[in-house]
Amino acid sequence: MSKLSKSQIKELIEKSYKARINILEMMKNGEAHIGGAFSAIDIITVLYNKILKHNPRKPKWGDRDRFILSAGHKCMALYSVLSEQGYFDKELLKTYANFNTRVQMHPDEKSLPGIESPTGSLGHGLPVANGIALCAKMTRLRYKVFVMLGDGECEEGSIWESAMAASHHELDNIIVIIDRNGLQVNGATSKIMDTSMLENKFHSFGWKVETIDGHNFEQIYNALSSTPFELRKPSCIVADTIKCKGLTFAENKFEFHQCYLSIKEVENSIHIVREAKEKELEKIGQ
Amino acid sequence: MGNKIKEAFEDPRKVISKALVALGGRNKDVIFISCDSSLGASGEPFRQRYPQRHFEFGIQEQSSMGTAAGFAASGKIPFITAYVPFITFRCFEQIRDDVCKTNLNVNIIGNNCGFSVSALGPTHVVLEDVSAMRSIPNITIISPADGPEYRQTIFAAAEIEGPVYLRVHRHKIRSIHKNGFKFIPGKGELLRRGSDITLITTSTMVVNSLNAATLLQSYGISVEVINMSTLKPIDEDIIIKSTSKTKRVVTVEEHSIIGGLGSAVSDVLIRENPVKMEMIGIEDKFAIVGNYKQVIDYYGLTSEKIASSIINFINKNKECNL
Repeated sequence: MSKLSKSQIKELIEKSYKARINILEMMKNGEAHIGGAFSAIDIITVLYNKILKHNPRKPKWGDRDRFILSAGHKCMALYSVLSEQGYFDKELLKTYANFNTRVQMHPDEKSLPGIESPTGSLGHGLPVANGIALCAKMTRLRYKVFVMLGDGECEEGSIWESAMAASHHELDNIIVIIDRNGLQVNGATSKIMDTSMLENKFHSFGWKVETIDGHNFEQIYNALSSTPFELRKPSCIVADTIKCKGLTFAENKFEFHQCYLSIKEVENSIHIVREAKEKELEKIGQ
Repeated sequence: MGNKIKEAFEDPRKVISKALVALGGRNKDVIFISCDSSLGASGEPFRQRYPQRHFEFGIQEQSSMGTAAGFAASGKIPFITAYVPFITFRCFEQIRDDVCKTNLNVNIIGNNCGFSVSALGPTHVVLEDVSAMRSIPNITIISPADGPEYRQTIFAAAEIEGPVYLRVHRHKIRSIHKNGFKFIPGKGELLRRGSDITLITTSTMVVNSLNAATLLQSYGISVEVINMSTLKPIDEDIIIKSTSKTKRVVTVEEHSIIGGLGSAVSDVLIRENPVKMEMIGIEDKFAIVGNYKQVIDYYGLTSEKIASSIINFINKNKECNL
């Protein structure tokens, strides 16, 4: 049974597609990581609108839930949502990737409020999250630490070191979300370095795992709001997603991991994304 | 000053162990992260005293270093330790991105620096740690000379707001400082006044260098000895002031001459006060295997060989119009 009403789901669809259009506007500044941003955006939208205990006016509030985008290259999705939440002026998005900008191609914790850790080099987010989560345990604070990984990122050894450590230290305040879009820079993860059976891998490392459709708002919300799945165990949500979801001509194509779109292509893409949104809304019905 | 030497030998690891326990008592935010390294290093007394603030992470330095950053980002003051190669090179990118880029108060204790464990071979004998760590912005690098300095470094590291890399040797070192000595991060220390040549050194080589200076005195060579325990940021003033007087400089280190103390001193002098310079240390090679005495002798780092190198250097540069 859904914990979200139809109107809430529609609202989330509106927000996630608005965020996609923000991302497309950023694409006007040059080559960027659109594929992962579009596969992750629905999950990030749900996190900031429905799950995280946070306050955009007090980004350093000690009791806040943390979100670490370990796969930092997806950061256009995070910037878009943070600006919509009021962490910073949306106008800043126009400076994406410009000279000396605060809105960089990988998240910079010193430049923008709401960024917890400088990610971009893969495999760094989960170890840092472990430290933050352990600190909550030792100081008896009740915040949770959400970490988004890519499935390609799970090729990094540091992910498995820290996955082992999170379960060893019984960090049930850690929630990993894997944006499993199945593609990485040079092609399919299954071809480059097979990260299949991530559920089994995390399970064998002592995590409680659930698999969801990463574009189904009910499933995203239900999974995220049910964490921890088990006391004294870290939770892992494997979210099956579509790279570049919503931009129909680019969906599931590894070439759109990082790409350049001309101004005309961006305008056309905005139109396509709006159509995709209408289809999503139609699916929900009245 | 060097002429008031207290004849005491202290084990750096024991000194640090005690200092960490004392620091933990003063500051409840101090925590210790072990990479299967507490017993062999300096964390066991801390673990026994403050088990709630001791965290074991096993043999996974990348994960541990990131976790230290997470703790520091949440207001804690972590000390993290392992053998030098594992706690520097193995997790170098975590140090760079998660600890230094963020400028967090993470205190990295590199155990068994230099030839501490010379019998274990080049995988464990790292002579390039200073070179690598010096290249990262925001980090302070400290290489203490004796027990009193090691002790104070622990308290200073917790006070320094950004990251600190503390190099710890395995061998007992003769104390050159009296009780009441005050370590000031970033400041070189004039241990012995001289007029013919400046000798700048660090860590274990401080005692050998002082002995070399005493030997050279009998040959009529007056050596000014500076203990440069903070390798980064380096004390430019003391280097310039001393070499302006002596016009010659020699550096002595149990480390590669590429990127270590010698390089740091030459970076300053080439810009501010070019003088004739000799770097005594390890050439661009991986370490030979042997016991500590054998290896130190092989690389010319005994007091006698340091003195001999200095005589050769001075003879070679006698005619220089400096």
